Amino acid sequence: MNRIILQVIGILFICILLAGCWDKRELNELAIATGISIDKRDDKFHVAAQVVIPTELSMKGGTGSSPVTLYEASGESINEAIRKLTKVSPRFIYLGHLRVVVISEDLAKEGIGATVDFLSRGWELRSDFYLIVSKESDAKEILNVQTALEKIPANELFNILHTSEAHNASTVAVTFFKMKTNLEREGKQGVLTGVHILGDPSMGSSKGNVETIVPEAKIQFEELAVFKGDKLVGWLNEKESRGYNGVTNQVKNSIGLITCPDGGNISVGIKKFDSKMKSKKISNNPGIELKVDIVANLGEVNCDIDLTKLANVKMLEKEFGKMVKEDIQKTIEVVQQKYRTDIFGFGATISKQTPEEWKKLKENWDEVFVELPVNIKINTQISHFGSVLNPVVSKTSE
Amino acid sequence: MSLFKKNRKITIQPSPPKAAENNNDNVTSSNSLKTSLGENLQHIKMTLGKSSDIVIREINIGYEGKIRVGIIYTAGLSNSENLQDFIMETLMIEIKQTDIDSKLTADSPILTLLKDYAITVGEIKDVDNFEQLFTSLLSGDVIVLIEGLSRGLIIGNKHWVSRAVTEPTAQTVIRGPREGFSENLSVNTALVRRIIKDENLWMISKEVGRRTKTNVAIMYINGVAEQNIVDEVYKRIDRIDIDGILESANIEEFIQDSQFTLFPTVYNTERPDTVAAGLLEGRIAILVDGTPFVLLVPALFIQFFQSSEDYYQRAIMASLIRILRFGAFGISILVPALYIALITFHHEIIPPALLISLAAQREGVPFPAFVEAIIMEVTFEILREAGLRMPRAIGSAMSIVGAFVIGTAAVEAGIISASMVIVVSITAISSFVSPTYDVAIAGRILRFIFMGLAASFGSYGILIGLIALVLHLCSLSSFSVPYMSPMAPFNAAGQKDSIIRFPIWRLLTRPPYISKNSTRQGPTKVNFKSNTHSKRSSNE
Repeated sequence: MNRIILQVIGILFICILLAGCWDKRELNELAIATGISIDKRDDKFHVAAQVVIPTELSMKGGTGSSPVTLYEASGESINEAIRKLTKVSPRFIYLGHLRVVVISEDLAKEGIGATVDFLSRGWELRSDFYLIVSKESDAKEILNVQTALEKIPANELFNILHTSEAHNASTVAVTFFKMKTNLEREGKQGVLTGVHILGDPSMGSSKGNVETIVPEAKIQFEELAVFKGDKLVGWLNEKESRGYNGVTNQVKNSIGLITCPDGGNISVGIKKFDSKMKSKKISNNPGIELKVDIVANLGEVNCDIDLTKLANVKMLEKEFGKMVKEDIQKTIEVVQQKYRTDIFGFGATISKQTPEEWKKLKENWDEVFVELPVNIKINTQISHFGSVLNPVVSKTSE
Repeated sequence: MSLFKKNRKITIQPSPPKAAENNNDNVTSSNSLKTSLGENLQHIKMTLGKSSDIVIREINIGYEGKIRVGIIYTAGLSNSENLQDFIMETLMIEIKQTDIDSKLTADSPILTLLKDYAITVGEIKDVDNFEQLFTSLLSGDVIVLIEGLSRGLIIGNKHWVSRAVTEPTAQTVIRGPREGFSENLSVNTALVRRIIKDENLWMISKEVGRRTKTNVAIMYINGVAEQNIVDEVYKRIDRIDIDGILESANIEEFIQDSQFTLFPTVYNTERPDTVAAGLLEGRIAILVDGTPFVLLVPALFIQFFQSSEDYYQRAIMASLIRILRFGAFGISILVPALYIALITFHHEIIPPALLISLAAQREGVPFPAFVEAIIMEVTFEILREAGLRMPRAIGSAMSIVGAFVIGTAAVEAGIISASMVIVVSITAISSFVSPTYDVAIAGRILRFIFMGLAASFGSYGILIGLIALVLHLCSLSSFSVPYMSPMAPFNAAGQKDSIIRFPIWRLLTRPPYISKNSTRQGPTKVNFKSNTHSKRSSNE
């Protein structure tokens, strides 16, 4: 009896040792990819992975060579290309810690369906990395620029987006997860941030790029790529991007400029921005009502105005509201007329709030969207003036 | 586990002691004394193998020196001054001043006479067999045998050099009494009685060990401790049939409920205040002669994370420190396992910056994380064991070598990653936080089990291990009290003094499941359970 029990335990123990560890991967067997770029040329996917060289990043300091390296491969599919990376990389490319995926403009125009599918299928991948579109350059080139503050360029990309999304109304940081939901959801189309290289891209790769105060090549986020389905159809400029953010309530903290009646301008910092979309009949047609509440602080006064008078402040508030409204209106107009794709999610709002209405509109939403009336109501408030009240240097007193 | 229990019963449940059979090497022990003094002395000499520390002195007493008397004692165990002053002097000098021969009658034989008139010692007994004689002789008493009588006297004269009552070394406190138990049983019982001066503090004595004949005392407060647990303790100790008990740990192993567990189900302490607190809670103390470690049963899991100092500190402080101890225990068993699991399986849940830093450290390390962890943990265990056993003078030299080898050289050489040193260090420090040594040992072994699970299955393995651990803990009991109480089974009142400690004035009841007489403070009527019990205790 005892012997049998011992034998059973022994066999079970061996099972543990035999079955375990099969998917074990030591940290030093991994090539941690922080960013990948996907290009499409001659019907082939070209994938480049920016892989971290940990020793170069350790506290002890490395040898002074580049902290990242780029492995490239191409294949009929993205997955094949990634697998082919092992032909050039000594370690398995580990995608679990991706920060950014850069897609070239050409590929985006052809459609990002395959890319999104690949990225969402892998169990290893998180979904919180940013998807960006490289404008006017190959996606690979974006990952090929040395950056100064963050040693890992992909991290720099990630953090630039992260910071400017919070402090600037004209950037939209789109995580992979968000883009994927937009693609799957009806009544809302996606946008992606555009990125391009300032300066000479050929200089970006060398370590010398970060040895000067002003790098030869820099990365800048600009413009929003507008998608219809999984295809890129056009770009929104900075002002329109701001309008887009206003409609979709993605402004966290930003500044705005008010033109003074007597010339000059006043810049305000937006403290609170809240826009609500509502499905509403406008003159018996389906429409959208947009209610925007803004609380702003004065940031910089560059004109002659007596701020001690309430009427003036009210006037400023009104002026500011008008400007925001104009921005938003223009954006909606451009999107409706030029790109004809519902990136604002008007359709989603209608389907959520008035489902029976949506059933009727669903079939030819693309045509309805173009003509959809949008009512904008803006309520602005200037709440804080800062440490001084009137302009420090008054022009009339001189 | 039930299979193991069956085995245990077969192996350790001893048959009731059969003195005559078992002591067959002491053939003569049950023999009664002979009338001839010479024969008796010869027998004693031969039985004890002419041991040189047995002193035999033959003298003649009486007015005319007619009565031949043998005095036997063990050198070192008997108080030689008392022997000189109250026995030898009385028998050889003072007795000559009285006419002892004339007083000898049939009614009052010489033995009674000596007992009643001559020997000025408190403890004195008759003896008529060799078994009792040897036990007393070897405990330090003086034996007086008289020519022509098959009876003798045992004169209590035990005295040996014992350690003074000093501060306990294994369980130190900042605030609280500094007394610790010593090796002397009567000193130890006195230390407890000095704290609890209740007539209900009862004590049962017992001799355990065929050869060592170790005195064991079971102390409990009558009416507070459960009578059936007291009976059970007695029964289990009674069942022990072994040649020697050297330390209370020997008793502990015999009486614990479950043999196959890493966790202690008997509490031990060298602090009289802890024992007193346990007795007041309804626990039963087992004091063993020759060791400062006193056992307390029933012992619960949480008890091993409680220190007597918890009750001498402010309640909030004590509660926080208890939580800290549980946390540290968790760290000490889980951190290396979690580290291995994260670093070999779950890279995705490590924040990117940390992952890169860890990867940079692991760059060039030739071993898998598990092997690395095992090397470090085993090295540390060796160092710890060596530090305990080696002469104190070498200790400091070794700690330098240890710290240098583990800490610096291994990392510099690139054999071990720096993060692993941090993990092992935090684990090592955490394992010293628990106030009792026993549970820390359990943690040490569990740590290796969890490391193995983590290396084979990742966090899934750790989770399986934790579930198994909790199930195992819940299956344990200590003298029929569930080991995990008051958590499982849950008892709301019991929570007041488990992981956190309420202020003393809120601790109105004793810990549940240990005593039915649960009221500690205030009128007894408050508790409905106490009614049945108070009736019983008044009968007793």
